[in-house]
Amino acid sequence: MNGFFGAGAADVAATWVAAFATLVVLGGLIGERRAFGWTQHLLAGLATGFLALLAITELIVPRLVTPLLADPGGARGAWLGLGLVAITAASPWLPRAVAALPISIAIGTLAAFALGGAVIGTLLPQIIAAVAVREASLAATLAGVAATMISGVVLFGFVHGTPRGRAANAVAATGRWVMLGALGGWLGYLLLSRLILLLDRVGFLLGDWLGTGR
Amino acid sequence: MSDRRRLAARIAPLALLVLLGAAWVVPAVPGLELGGRGDDARGWATALDALPPEPIVLVGFDPDLGTYAEVRPTVRTLIADLLNRGSRLAFVSVTPEGRALLIAELDRLARAEANPTRVLDLGYLPGAEAALVSLAHELPVGEGTGSLARQLAAGGIGAVDAAVIIGGNDIGPRSWVEQVATRTDELPLLAVAPTILLPELQPYLESGQLVALLATPAAGAAFRDGADVGALERLLEIAPPGPLPILVGMIVAILVLAQAWVGQLTSAVRRMMARDQS
Repeated sequence: MNGFFGAGAADVAATWVAAFATLVVLGGLIGERRAFGWTQHLLAGLATGFLALLAITELIVPRLVTPLLADPGGARGAWLGLGLVAITAASPWLPRAVAALPISIAIGTLAAFALGGAVIGTLLPQIIAAVAVREASLAATLAGVAATMISGVVLFGFVHGTPRGRAANAVAATGRWVMLGALGGWLGYLLLSRLILLLDRVGFLLGDWLGTGR
Repeated sequence: MSDRRRLAARIAPLALLVLLGAAWVVPAVPGLELGGRGDDARGWATALDALPPEPIVLVGFDPDLGTYAEVRPTVRTLIADLLNRGSRLAFVSVTPEGRALLIAELDRLARAEANPTRVLDLGYLPGAEAALVSLAHELPVGEGTGSLARQLAAGGIGAVDAAVIIGGNDIGPRSWVEQVATRTDELPLLAVAPTILLPELQPYLESGQLVALLATPAAGAAFRDGADVGALERLLEIAPPGPLPILVGMIVAILVLAQAWVGQLTSAVRRMMARDQS
């Protein structure tokens, strides 16, 4: 039971609407596609409305409008942001070099942060962690050696286009199979997550809606 | 497809739902428990015990709708546990989906009359990785006026004793390790994430970049069993998914897989036999 709804009239109505939507979505499993399509439209509409509301109440008003109204001369960052938004909105009528400026800044900044963080926070520490060193127990040391070997074999599986001998081909093929095995395991995790989501919906119908306690 | 097969294809999902519903209604089965060994839960408890009295905990709340059902009971127990320890919680989201779920959880906390002076909503920060970078420099306290807001406004992330990240979205514990931990000095990062993120996050736990991680239903159940929430039981999930329906679902999944394999195998054998006869 998700416990998102209270006992008031609005909460009861919300529970009934949610239960109806859940039944319609589950009805898609047994072939009822038209009503299922409506729920998809409903989800898309709700998501769009929520995003618009979020943008207005938590971004545009508090971070743009309010600073500009409070101190028009001091909010240089807000003016710069407003200018970039205006350029984006007017991009169909502007030269390509000018229109590309805001999106270039957005993509460049995101890529810089993501790449820098990935190298410093993930790549380097994980390479260090993948190096097999002597651990406190023999089992831990062997696990480290196995992890290093698997990392090497899988990385070797990505080497394409270079002439290789039979042994190198065997190592690369092993690397690809190990990677496939890992992907299979990952799909198993995905299955478990989705199964619990389905159980949550069943629990919602039986518990929150029908009041069948365990 | 024959009529019989078409009918079976429609009835099978319905039968699965009925089976899962029946397993959900059945009370706890003795000997069948999710808790398990609980090494991860002990790691969490140790990390929480190491916090100073009345710690300030920054909660990065970015689960996704598709997996939140899995971590929700653990998240609610964790919040109750932290509040029972006297923690002060500052919530922030950097994804719209996480923000939607956070609004619902904060509303639930308010209805359950959780101490409002110990909970601060820092809102939604747009910009994905850039938002996390900005968090490392300045916390968006906004117009908050309480003592927690004042402390965070003055000390920024330096005033925070630990960060708890509720993961599920693209921007989750891994992004916090990459963007926040690399810009702060010794801020302990603790994470709760759905099972699907376990392969991605386990290396960070092994390397010490995450201090503690709960990323399986068993680890979550073990944590819930050992958590001390005091008088805050009203904040807990009423009926988290039990082990029996999960087990039933997994058995059905394995049977479906096995059926597909056996089907492929028998058709291959039939082809071979037909080839031999011809």
